[in-house]
Amino acid sequence: MGYVASMTSLAGLGRFGLFSASVLWRVLTPPWEVHETARHTLNVAVRCFLPVMAIVFPLGMVMALQGLAIFDTFGAQRMLSSLVSVAVFRELSPVLASTLVAAQGGSSFAAELGAMRIREELDATEVMGLDPLRVHVVPRVLACVVATPMLNIAGSLSGIAGGMFTAVVLKGEPAGIYWANVWALTQPADLLGGVLKTLIFGAVIGVVASYHGYNASGGAAGVGQAVNDTVVIAATSFIVANYFLTTALFGVMG
Amino acid sequence: MTALRTLGRFGFFVATFASASLRHPLPVRASIIEAYRIGVRSLPILLVISIFVGTNLTLQGFAAFKPLGGQHLVGMFVALAGVREMAPIMVSAMVAAKAGTEMASQIAVMRIREQIDALEVMSIDPHWFLITPRFLGIFLVLPALTVLSIFTLMVSAWTVATLQLGLNGDEFLALARATTHPADFGYGMIKAACFAAIICLVSCFYGFYSEAGPDGVGRATNSAVVVSAVSCAVLNYLLSEVLFG
Repeated sequence: MGYVASMTSLAGLGRFGLFSASVLWRVLTPPWEVHETARHTLNVAVRCFLPVMAIVFPLGMVMALQGLAIFDTFGAQRMLSSLVSVAVFRELSPVLASTLVAAQGGSSFAAELGAMRIREELDATEVMGLDPLRVHVVPRVLACVVATPMLNIAGSLSGIAGGMFTAVVLKGEPAGIYWANVWALTQPADLLGGVLKTLIFGAVIGVVASYHGYNASGGAAGVGQAVNDTVVIAATSFIVANYFLTTALFGVMG
Repeated sequence: MTALRTLGRFGFFVATFASASLRHPLPVRASIIEAYRIGVRSLPILLVISIFVGTNLTLQGFAAFKPLGGQHLVGMFVALAGVREMAPIMVSAMVAAKAGTEMASQIAVMRIREQIDALEVMSIDPHWFLITPRFLGIFLVLPALTVLSIFTLMVSAWTVATLQLGLNGDEFLALARATTHPADFGYGMIKAACFAAIICLVSCFYGFYSEAGPDGVGRATNSAVVVSAVSCAVLNYLLSEVLFG
């Protein structure tokens, strides 16, 4: 069983590689579906905006709550916002914003493409002499690549605001000190590092979602399965990639 | 208005589910099967996630404390953040993404194939037959997965701290032990149990009221994971405030 399972997953990996390569080729060569890309980007950005804000804000609040507990013991409460901003800019916001984009945007792309596959609309596109990858897949992949970094920046700001809400409004720390120390340990480069991470994560979401939707089979249950696989695989790959990206981008070594 | 209506329907759904589970005998066998299925299916992915959450927490703590010359405090940071916050919330997010979406799509498929109506015709309560075992299963298994995730996370954090960052491993462990109490594990498990309830109810709700066709199933699955992840994050803050505040 182990041998068969590992061979099937190896074959799946190969198919995924081929799919990614053919998508990449179509991204790099004209003609581009500019209008479709813009429509999907706007759609993802709008639909994911609230969920991203709604998940990073409470986590910023929790960071501040637990950070205050640590810093209280050293009397170093003024460093609180530095801890929150390092964590939010570099780690929390990129990973959580991307996870939410995968859960909201990526999974709906998988569902749309899966439904098109089941209803043979993708075959119809091909019969009409259009390339379904170019028409349906590439705009969605590009939309994820463009929208995820933008949502990450919004998420970073909401995380900082969440930290401020706990520290200043609920726990009565001085607001001036909070704002003054936000940039004490972080530079704009950290925010840029987060953007770079989310560009990569966005591409992962786009390709994973399209792959699973494009190859969906087996009716409505197949579409559900495609959505499920998209979220799980995309989220796992960010968290794994995140460790290597943090080490590489921010040079954290002993 | 739609959000309010959905919330109302959700409340009604939870009430029906609660009364249905109380009126019928406990489905012990089905619940154990569900617990096994959820626990074992989610285990490999959870271990991978926990390993990398541990490594990232270590890097993050190191980056935050190094400018203050406090890099040896990383053990404390990892233990506090890992045990109290990251393990419960990451485990729940992954279980929401894996087991939650699975529940939503399974039940949605049953709905659109009219299998749920068939159950009703056979005078079997679908709430009790479909949702109660899933609820009990995830409720039993999520706290256990959280404890497992805490240990995995600490091992990987220790590995990164000693091998990559060159910190003193004994000091790391001593600080980690000093900052966490056995009660913290209990609090982590309480959090996980609350998240389990949310994930199961939200996912089954979206599956139960799925619209027809493949896009209906897709949409139900999609809403299930987003809504349960966001509600877990919000609930997490409230629970942290109550348990540790």
